[in-house]
Amino acid sequence: MKITAPHLGNVYIAAKALFDGLGIEYIMPPLNNKEALEMGSLHSPEEICLPYKIMVGNYIQAIEKGADTVLLPGSCGPCRFGKYAEMQMNLFKRMGKNINFIVIDAPGDIGIKELYNRINQISRNSRKGKAGQIKALLRAVRVMNLIDEIEEKAHYLAGYEVNKGECKKLLNSCKRDAMNTNSPRDMIMVLEEYKNRLDNVKIDKGKNPIKIAIIGEIYTIIEPFSNLYIEDKLMDYGVATKRKLTPSWWVKDTLLKPTKLNSLKIKRNAKKYLSLGVGGHGRECIGEAVLAQKEGFDGAIQIFPLGCMPEIVSKVILPTISKEKDFPIMSLVVDEMTGEAGFVTRVEAFIDLLERRRKNVLSWS
Amino acid sequence: MIVGIPKGLLYYKYYPFFTTFFQELGSELVISPDTNKDILDEGVKYCVDDACLPVKVFHGHVAYLKDKCDIILIPRFMQVRSREYICPKFCGLPEMIKNSIPKMPRIIDKPIYAISRRKLYPWAREIGRIITKDKKKIKNAFNTALIKQDKFKLGFNDDSQQLTVAIVGHPYNIFDNYVNMNIVEKLNRLGVGVVTEEVVEDSLIDEEVKRLYKRPFWTFARNSYGFASNVYRENKVNGIIYISSFACGIDSVVIELIKERIGNFPFLTLKIDEHTGEAGLDTRVEAFVDMLGREIK
Repeated sequence: MKITAPHLGNVYIAAKALFDGLGIEYIMPPLNNKEALEMGSLHSPEEICLPYKIMVGNYIQAIEKGADTVLLPGSCGPCRFGKYAEMQMNLFKRMGKNINFIVIDAPGDIGIKELYNRINQISRNSRKGKAGQIKALLRAVRVMNLIDEIEEKAHYLAGYEVNKGECKKLLNSCKRDAMNTNSPRDMIMVLEEYKNRLDNVKIDKGKNPIKIAIIGEIYTIIEPFSNLYIEDKLMDYGVATKRKLTPSWWVKDTLLKPTKLNSLKIKRNAKKYLSLGVGGHGRECIGEAVLAQKEGFDGAIQIFPLGCMPEIVSKVILPTISKEKDFPIMSLVVDEMTGEAGFVTRVEAFIDLLERRRKNVLSWS
Repeated sequence: MIVGIPKGLLYYKYYPFFTTFFQELGSELVISPDTNKDILDEGVKYCVDDACLPVKVFHGHVAYLKDKCDIILIPRFMQVRSREYICPKFCGLPEMIKNSIPKMPRIIDKPIYAISRRKLYPWAREIGRIITKDKKKIKNAFNTALIKQDKFKLGFNDDSQQLTVAIVGHPYNIFDNYVNMNIVEKLNRLGVGVVTEEVVEDSLIDEEVKRLYKRPFWTFARNSYGFASNVYRENKVNGIIYISSFACGIDSVVIELIKERIGNFPFLTLKIDEHTGEAGLDTRVEAFVDMLGREIK
């Protein structure tokens, strides 16, 4: 069994740690690229959302390298993501490829026994004992938390750094070095080291950079390829950015969901504008916009794939928040046709607007 | 108190309940007219452009009603079957309306969980209280409304013609004759009878959806898939027409699943949006019917 999984931001680093720790053979799809998107779009229904298309591209590229099993989380929410697995299974059957899908669903939907069976399909290939497997899992979680923390810090400090580009360089070499390690233990050491190095980046506390919150659909904000590397671009511009939704946040949120104690702060802040969940992360998007304003950000950028049902609801609500709180919010829609030049122009114009607002030369709305 | 009921979205399926309920409570009703060009234009003007056609049409109906009543019913359908949803946009529909249409009167936006009598009653109790203080009256109105809804039969079951076609899709696309450009009448004129999902029993639909790897979590997706799969397996019809609104997230999935299930069985997808031209739609329907006619010869 050669296992593969679709890309989602930095999860591939944690996945490497997990499979290395378990001693399971795995094939990492090449980092998201144009060919993956093109191949994915070719084999996908026209109106499905962008994440589906990129994921199909990931699988195809991984299968070319010899993968035969796909690991994928699932859901039974009102969002389309829950149906991905079934459609993708049909697709590969049609293409005449014998690919095994392991879908990790919530126990409420498939039963705890089935969930255990599915997890067992992976873990029985591991040479490690039960204790070793749990250790590997915990280490992978640790890696994910660390890389999310490092990334968050780098994105934020980019606005304050004295030597321009230092944070970005550190972040990139951190990912590279982490991927070059051979064991989860080494990887954690590398990540810890980079975390320290980031803490020691020379910063100018007197600076008051533009601060932007990145909100919206979880896949398109976490996966840099799908949003044309907007966070990297903002780092280049010396803008401090913050994004609440991360893979480690998602894991925590999903685990806590049955108890309804997940993301209380976000829910509380969203309540005035959207009191009920609308699937996906529509409510979170609203809550984060309100929070960003409270935390003193200059503006927020919402990103979602074309036709994303929950985010359309939040897109309608955001202008009201923007007006009531005098807080600029821009919505960007991405799909496989998004052109980089037009995208960059809009982002730059938005930053210009935020800068000029500080000088009180114009007012929003 | 004058209650406004927009003739959009699930109105077509559940209007007996809502109209009876408010009438029995003794309130005056205003129902928007059938969808027409003005309503569609108003809807397109107010609604966010990423939304699908039915949601835009609904915005148009609300805009028509907003100055003609004291309170507008914006049904926030959360669930009509247990553990299933309708569509994320239904859960956020009142928010979409409130934030898009200015100067709205008071609205009824309490979530509706129409899974069972017990789950639905709190909705009726709270809404009833806005109109009357009489608890008994509310209860009676609720009961009468439910009986009316139960007796209500929707859908087509016409297999008297030479050809029969199953029309699949969300009820608001099938029963809004402006949006689908009188597709049923068009088909009848071409000598084609129409059947819709209501003819297939619920238990049969359940049987069909069991085939799926994952239990369908959208009620109308479940119905559409189960119906299409059933008429295909039992060879009840000559072809299937799926009426889908552009950018409908659910349709993008269901159409794929149906195609996978029925293989080479005649299947036509009619995409509708606010720019759909009638001539193009006619041509496609006629061509499809021609093809079906040739197949039985």
